[in-house]
Amino acid sequence: MNHAPDAAAPGNGGAFDPQEAAALLDQTARQARRQLQPSPPWLLATRAVMVLAALGAIWLSVRGQHPYRGPTAADIPVLVAFIVVNFALTVGVRHRAMAGVQGRSRFTQPEIAVMVVAWIVTIVAILVLAAAGVSYSHYPTTLLIMPGLAWAAVSGARAGWRRSATGLAVAAVGVAGLFAGSAGAWLVAAVGLCAIFIVRAAINARQRRASRP
Amino acid sequence: MSTDELDPLIHVPARLKIVATLAALPDGDTLSFTRLQDIIGLTPGNLIVHLRKLEEANYISSEKTRNVTTVALTAPGRKAFGAYTQALRDLLGGL
Repeated sequence: MNHAPDAAAPGNGGAFDPQEAAALLDQTARQARRQLQPSPPWLLATRAVMVLAALGAIWLSVRGQHPYRGPTAADIPVLVAFIVVNFALTVGVRHRAMAGVQGRSRFTQPEIAVMVVAWIVTIVAILVLAAAGVSYSHYPTTLLIMPGLAWAAVSGARAGWRRSATGLAVAAVGVAGLFAGSAGAWLVAAVGLCAIFIVRAAINARQRRASRP
Repeated sequence: MSTDELDPLIHVPARLKIVATLAALPDGDTLSFTRLQDIIGLTPGNLIVHLRKLEEANYISSEKTRNVTTVALTAPGRKAFGAYTQALRDLLGGL
Protein backbone atom coordinates (compact mmCIF):
# COMPACT_ATOMS: atom_id res chain seq x y z
CA MET A 1 0.00 0.00 0.00
CA ASN A 2 1.14 3.56 -0.64
CA HIS A 3 0.39 5.27 2.63
CA ALA A 4 2.40 5.17 5.80
CA PRO A 5 0.46 4.24 8.92
CA ASP A 6 -0.04 7.12 11.34
CA ALA A 7 -0.44 5.51 14.72
CA ALA A 8 -0.14 8.88 16.44
CA ALA A 9 -3.20 10.32 14.73
CA PRO A 10 -6.10 11.11 17.04
CA GLY A 11 -8.61 8.32 17.25
CA ASN A 12 -6.16 5.65 16.19
CA GLY A 13 -6.04 3.91 19.55
CA GLY A 14 -2.84 2.00 18.72
CA ALA A 15 -2.97 -1.45 17.11
CA PHE A 16 -6.21 -2.12 15.28
CA ASP A 17 -7.05 -5.78 15.11
CA PRO A 18 -8.68 -6.97 11.82
CA GLN A 19 -11.56 -8.54 13.74
CA GLU A 20 -12.17 -5.28 15.57
CA ALA A 21 -12.04 -3.52 12.20
CA ALA A 22 -14.61 -5.92 10.73
CA ALA A 23 -16.92 -5.41 13.72
CA LEU A 24 -16.54 -1.62 13.57
CA LEU A 25 -17.10 -1.64 9.81
CA ASP A 26 -20.26 -3.70 10.13
CA GLN A 27 -21.62 -1.56 12.96
CA THR A 28 -20.82 1.73 11.20
CA ALA A 29 -22.26 0.63 7.86
CA ARG A 30 -25.42 -0.61 9.55
CA GLN A 31 -25.80 2.65 11.50
CA ALA A 32 -25.16 4.80 8.41
CA ARG A 33 -27.69 2.90 6.31
CA ARG A 34 -30.27 3.12 9.10
CA GLN A 35 -29.79 6.86 9.49
CA LEU A 36 -29.46 7.80 5.83
CA GLN A 37 -32.16 5.66 4.20
CA PRO A 38 -35.20 7.82 3.33
CA SER A 39 -37.54 4.81 2.90
CA PRO A 40 -36.49 2.20 5.45
CA PRO A 41 -38.21 -1.21 5.30
CA TRP A 42 -39.99 -0.64 8.64
CA LEU A 43 -41.61 2.54 7.28
CA LEU A 44 -42.82 0.80 4.13
CA ALA A 45 -44.15 -2.14 6.17
CA THR A 46 -45.97 0.29 8.48
CA ARG A 47 -47.51 2.06 5.51
CA ALA A 48 -48.58 -1.32 4.10
CA VAL A 49 -50.41 -2.17 7.31
CA MET A 50 -51.94 1.30 7.59
CA VAL A 51 -53.25 1.37 4.02
CA LEU A 52 -54.73 -2.12 4.34
CA ALA A 53 -56.40 -1.29 7.65
CA ALA A 54 -57.76 2.14 6.62
CA LEU A 55 -58.97 1.40 3.09
CA GLY A 56 -60.00 -2.14 4.05
CA ALA A 57 -62.19 -0.75 6.85
CA ILE A 58 -63.86 1.61 4.38
CA TRP A 59 -64.45 -1.27 1.94
CA LEU A 60 -66.11 -3.26 4.76
CA SER A 61 -68.47 -0.37 5.47
CA VAL A 62 -69.41 0.38 1.82
CA ARG A 63 -69.59 -3.11 0.34
CA GLY A 64 -73.17 -3.61 1.50
CA GLN A 65 -74.46 -0.32 0.09
CA HIS A 66 -77.10 -0.66 -2.62
CA PRO A 67 -77.04 1.83 -4.22
CA TYR A 68 -73.49 2.95 -3.49
CA ARG A 69 -73.40 6.13 -1.39
CA GLY A 70 -69.69 6.27 -0.57
CA PRO A 71 -67.83 6.29 2.76
CA THR A 72 -70.01 7.02 5.78
CA ALA A 73 -69.46 9.85 8.24
CA ALA A 74 -67.72 7.36 10.53
CA ASP A 75 -65.27 6.43 7.74
CA ILE A 76 -64.11 9.98 7.06
CA PRO A 77 -62.02 10.34 10.27
CA VAL A 78 -60.36 6.99 9.49
CA LEU A 79 -59.48 8.17 5.99
CA VAL A 80 -58.26 11.58 7.17
CA ALA A 81 -56.22 10.00 9.99
CA PHE A 82 -54.64 7.57 7.53
CA ILE A 83 -53.68 10.37 5.12
CA VAL A 84 -52.32 12.64 7.87
CA VAL A 85 -50.35 9.93 9.72
CA ASN A 86 -48.99 8.44 6.50
CA PHE A 87 -47.92 11.86 5.20
CA ALA A 88 -46.39 12.97 8.50
CA LEU A 89 -44.50 9.71 8.98
CA THR A 90 -43.16 9.65 5.44
CA VAL A 91 -42.13 13.30 5.38
CA GLY A 92 -40.69 13.12 8.92
CA VAL A 93 -38.50 10.08 8.22
CA ARG A 94 -37.36 11.44 4.86
CA HIS A 95 -36.59 14.86 6.34
CA ARG A 96 -34.46 13.31 9.09
CA ALA A 97 -32.65 10.95 6.73
CA MET A 98 -31.90 13.64 4.16
CA ALA A 99 -30.65 16.25 6.65
CA GLY A 100 -27.22 17.36 5.44
CA VAL A 101 -27.46 15.23 2.29
CA GLN A 102 -27.15 16.95 -1.06
CA GLY A 103 -27.00 15.59 -4.58
CA ARG A 104 -28.95 13.19 -6.74
CA SER A 105 -31.10 11.72 -3.96
CA ARG A 106 -32.80 15.05 -3.39
CA PHE A 107 -35.75 15.92 -5.59
CA THR A 108 -35.19 18.92 -7.83
CA GLN A 109 -37.68 21.78 -8.12
CA PRO A 110 -38.92 20.63 -11.58
CA GLU A 111 -39.48 17.09 -10.24
CA ILE A 112 -41.50 18.41 -7.31
CA ALA A 113 -43.43 20.65 -9.72
CA VAL A 114 -44.33 17.65 -11.94
CA MET A 115 -45.75 15.77 -8.93
CA VAL A 116 -47.72 18.79 -7.68
CA VAL A 117 -49.14 19.44 -11.16
CA ALA A 118 -50.08 15.74 -11.46
CA TRP A 119 -52.12 15.95 -8.26
CA ILE A 120 -53.76 19.24 -9.28
CA VAL A 121 -54.67 17.85 -12.73
CA THR A 122 -56.05 14.70 -11.09
CA ILE A 123 -58.26 16.62 -8.68
CA VAL A 124 -59.52 18.95 -11.42
CA ALA A 125 -60.19 15.99 -13.75
CA ILE A 126 -62.10 14.15 -11.02
CA LEU A 127 -64.22 17.23 -10.27
CA VAL A 128 -65.00 17.64 -13.99
CA LEU A 129 -65.89 13.93 -14.31
CA ALA A 130 -68.04 14.10 -11.18
CA ALA A 131 -69.91 17.14 -12.57
CA ALA A 132 -70.49 15.16 -15.78
CA GLY A 133 -71.90 12.27 -13.75
CA VAL A 134 -69.14 9.79 -14.60
CA SER A 135 -69.14 6.99 -12.02
CA TYR A 136 -65.35 6.52 -12.12
CA SER A 137 -64.93 9.91 -10.49
CA HIS A 138 -66.14 8.40 -7.18
CA TYR A 139 -63.61 5.56 -7.24
CA PRO A 140 -60.68 5.99 -4.85
CA THR A 141 -58.39 4.23 -7.31
CA THR A 142 -58.99 6.89 -9.98
CA LEU A 143 -56.89 9.21 -7.80
CA LEU A 144 -53.86 6.94 -8.20
CA ILE A 145 -53.52 6.83 -11.99
CA MET A 146 -52.10 10.26 -12.83
CA PRO A 147 -49.77 10.65 -9.80
CA GLY A 148 -48.57 7.07 -10.33
CA LEU A 149 -47.66 7.82 -13.94
CA ALA A 150 -46.04 11.13 -12.95
CA TRP A 151 -43.95 9.33 -10.31
CA ALA A 152 -42.93 6.71 -12.89
CA ALA A 153 -41.91 9.45 -15.34
CA VAL A 154 -39.92 11.43 -12.75
CA SER A 155 -38.20 8.28 -11.49
CA GLY A 156 -37.48 7.02 -14.98
CA ALA A 157 -35.89 10.37 -15.87
CA ARG A 158 -33.49 10.07 -12.94
CA ALA A 159 -32.74 6.43 -13.85
CA GLY A 160 -34.36 4.99 -10.77
CA TRP A 161 -36.02 2.01 -12.48
CA ARG A 162 -37.22 0.59 -9.17
CA ARG A 163 -39.10 3.75 -8.25
CA SER A 164 -40.34 3.96 -11.81
CA ALA A 165 -41.76 0.45 -11.48
CA THR A 166 -43.42 1.51 -8.23
CA GLY A 167 -45.14 4.42 -10.00
CA LEU A 168 -46.33 2.14 -12.79
CA ALA A 169 -47.63 -0.36 -10.22
CA VAL A 170 -49.57 2.41 -8.45
CA ALA A 171 -51.07 3.49 -11.79
CA ALA A 172 -51.91 -0.17 -12.56
CA VAL A 173 -53.77 -0.43 -9.24
CA GLY A 174 -55.68 2.70 -10.28
CA VAL A 175 -56.63 1.16 -13.62
CA ALA A 176 -57.58 -2.18 -12.00
CA GLY A 177 -59.92 -0.30 -9.69
CA LEU A 178 -61.90 0.97 -12.68
CA PHE A 179 -63.10 -2.61 -13.26
CA ALA A 180 -63.94 -3.34 -9.63
CA GLY A 181 -67.02 -1.17 -9.16
CA SER A 182 -67.56 1.62 -6.64
CA ALA A 183 -67.21 -0.47 -3.48
CA GLY A 184 -64.72 -2.97 -4.93
CA ALA A 185 -62.34 -0.13 -5.86
CA TRP A 186 -61.68 0.41 -2.13
CA LEU A 187 -60.60 -3.21 -1.78
CA VAL A 188 -58.44 -3.00 -4.89
CA ALA A 189 -56.76 0.15 -3.50
CA ALA A 190 -56.24 -1.45 -0.06
CA VAL A 191 -54.78 -4.71 -1.33
CA GLY A 192 -52.90 -3.21 -4.29
CA LEU A 193 -51.16 -0.45 -2.34
CA CYS A 194 -50.43 -2.82 0.56
CA ALA A 195 -48.78 -5.26 -1.85
CA ILE A 196 -46.69 -2.47 -3.43
CA PHE A 197 -45.43 -1.30 -0.02
CA ILE A 198 -44.60 -4.86 1.06
CA VAL A 199 -42.68 -5.56 -2.15
CA ARG A 200 -40.78 -2.25 -1.78
CA ALA A 201 -39.99 -3.07 1.85
CA ALA A 202 -38.68 -6.51 0.86
CA ILE A 203 -36.55 -5.04 -1.95
CA ASN A 204 -35.09 -2.35 0.33
CA ALA A 205 -34.35 -4.91 3.05
CA ARG A 206 -32.62 -7.17 0.55
CA GLN A 207 -30.64 -4.23 -0.81
CA ARG A 208 -29.51 -3.39 2.71
CA ARG A 209 -28.26 -6.91 3.27
CA ALA A 210 -26.55 -7.00 -0.13
CA SER A 211 -24.73 -3.70 0.49
CA ARG A 212 -23.11 -4.91 3.69
CA PRO A 213 -19.37 -4.58 3.39
CA MET B 1 -2.08 -12.76 4.08
CA SER B 2 -1.11 -10.17 6.74
CA THR B 3 -2.54 -6.92 8.07
CA ASP B 4 0.01 -5.11 5.87
CA GLU B 5 -2.40 -5.73 3.01
CA LEU B 6 -4.96 -3.46 4.65
CA ASP B 7 -4.78 0.11 3.39
CA PRO B 8 -3.22 1.96 6.36
CA LEU B 9 -5.05 5.12 5.44
CA ILE B 10 -8.41 3.44 6.01
CA HIS B 11 -7.30 0.95 8.66
CA VAL B 12 -7.73 3.47 11.49
CA PRO B 13 -10.96 3.40 13.54
CA ALA B 14 -11.94 7.03 12.95
CA ARG B 15 -11.20 6.98 9.22
CA LEU B 16 -12.84 3.60 8.76
CA LYS B 17 -16.00 5.07 10.27
CA ILE B 18 -15.79 8.11 7.99
CA VAL B 19 -15.28 6.08 4.82
CA ALA B 20 -17.92 3.46 5.73
CA THR B 21 -20.46 6.20 6.45
CA LEU B 22 -19.78 8.05 3.19
CA ALA B 23 -19.91 4.75 1.28
CA ALA B 24 -23.51 4.30 2.49
CA LEU B 25 -24.53 7.33 0.42
CA PRO B 26 -25.60 6.76 -3.18
CA ASP B 27 -23.08 7.80 -5.82
CA GLY B 28 -23.38 11.54 -6.51
CA ASP B 29 -24.57 12.49 -3.02
CA THR B 30 -22.62 14.55 -0.51
CA LEU B 31 -22.93 14.80 3.27
CA SER B 32 -22.52 17.92 5.39
CA PHE B 33 -19.67 18.06 7.88
CA THR B 34 -22.07 18.50 10.80
CA ARG B 35 -24.26 15.53 9.83
CA LEU B 36 -21.18 13.35 9.37
CA GLN B 37 -19.94 14.44 12.77
CA ASP B 38 -23.35 13.70 14.25
CA ILE B 39 -23.43 10.17 12.78
CA ILE B 40 -19.93 9.06 13.71
CA GLY B 41 -19.57 11.02 16.96
CA LEU B 42 -16.11 12.57 16.53
CA THR B 43 -15.14 16.01 17.78
CA PRO B 44 -14.88 18.65 15.00
CA GLY B 45 -11.11 18.95 15.42
CA ASN B 46 -10.59 15.21 15.24
CA LEU B 47 -12.86 14.89 12.24
CA ILE B 48 -11.04 17.66 10.37
CA VAL B 49 -7.67 15.96 10.90
CA HIS B 50 -8.91 12.67 9.47
CA LEU B 51 -10.82 14.27 6.62
CA ARG B 52 -7.71 16.16 5.62
CA LYS B 53 -5.70 12.93 5.41
CA LEU B 54 -8.37 11.28 3.32
CA GLU B 55 -8.61 14.31 1.06
CA GLU B 56 -4.84 14.43 0.56
CA ALA B 57 -5.06 10.84 -0.70
CA ASN B 58 -7.97 11.82 -2.98
CA TYR B 59 -10.26 9.36 -1.17
CA ILE B 60 -12.76 12.09 -0.39
CA SER B 61 -13.62 15.49 -1.82
CA SER B 62 -14.92 18.45 0.13
CA GLU B 63 -16.68 21.60 -0.90
CA LYS B 64 -17.58 24.70 1.06
CA THR B 65 -20.62 26.70 0.00
CA ARG B 66 -22.41 29.34 2.09
CA ASN B 67 -20.82 28.23 5.38
CA VAL B 68 -21.73 24.59 4.77
CA THR B 69 -18.93 22.13 4.17
CA THR B 70 -19.94 18.96 2.39
CA VAL B 71 -17.86 15.83 1.86
CA ALA B 72 -18.20 12.85 -0.45
CA LEU B 73 -16.32 9.72 -1.30
CA THR B 74 -14.46 10.02 -4.61
CA ALA B 75 -14.26 7.22 -7.17
CA PRO B 76 -10.72 6.30 -6.03
CA GLY B 77 -11.98 6.42 -2.42
CA ARG B 78 -14.84 4.05 -3.21
CA LYS B 79 -12.43 1.73 -5.00
CA ALA B 80 -9.98 1.82 -2.08
CA PHE B 81 -12.80 1.09 0.37
CA GLY B 82 -13.89 -1.87 -1.78
CA ALA B 83 -10.33 -3.17 -1.84
CA TYR B 84 -10.03 -2.69 1.92
CA THR B 85 -13.23 -4.63 2.70
CA GLN B 86 -12.15 -7.41 0.33
CA ALA B 87 -8.72 -7.58 1.95
CA LEU B 88 -10.33 -7.67 5.39
CA ARG B 89 -12.67 -10.44 4.28
CA ASP B 90 -9.76 -12.45 2.84
CA LEU B 91 -7.74 -11.91 5.97
CA LEU B 92 -10.49 -13.01 8.34
CA GLY B 93 -11.38 -15.93 6.10
CA GLY B 94 -7.78 -17.05 6.31
CA LEU B 95 -7.53 -16.78 10.08
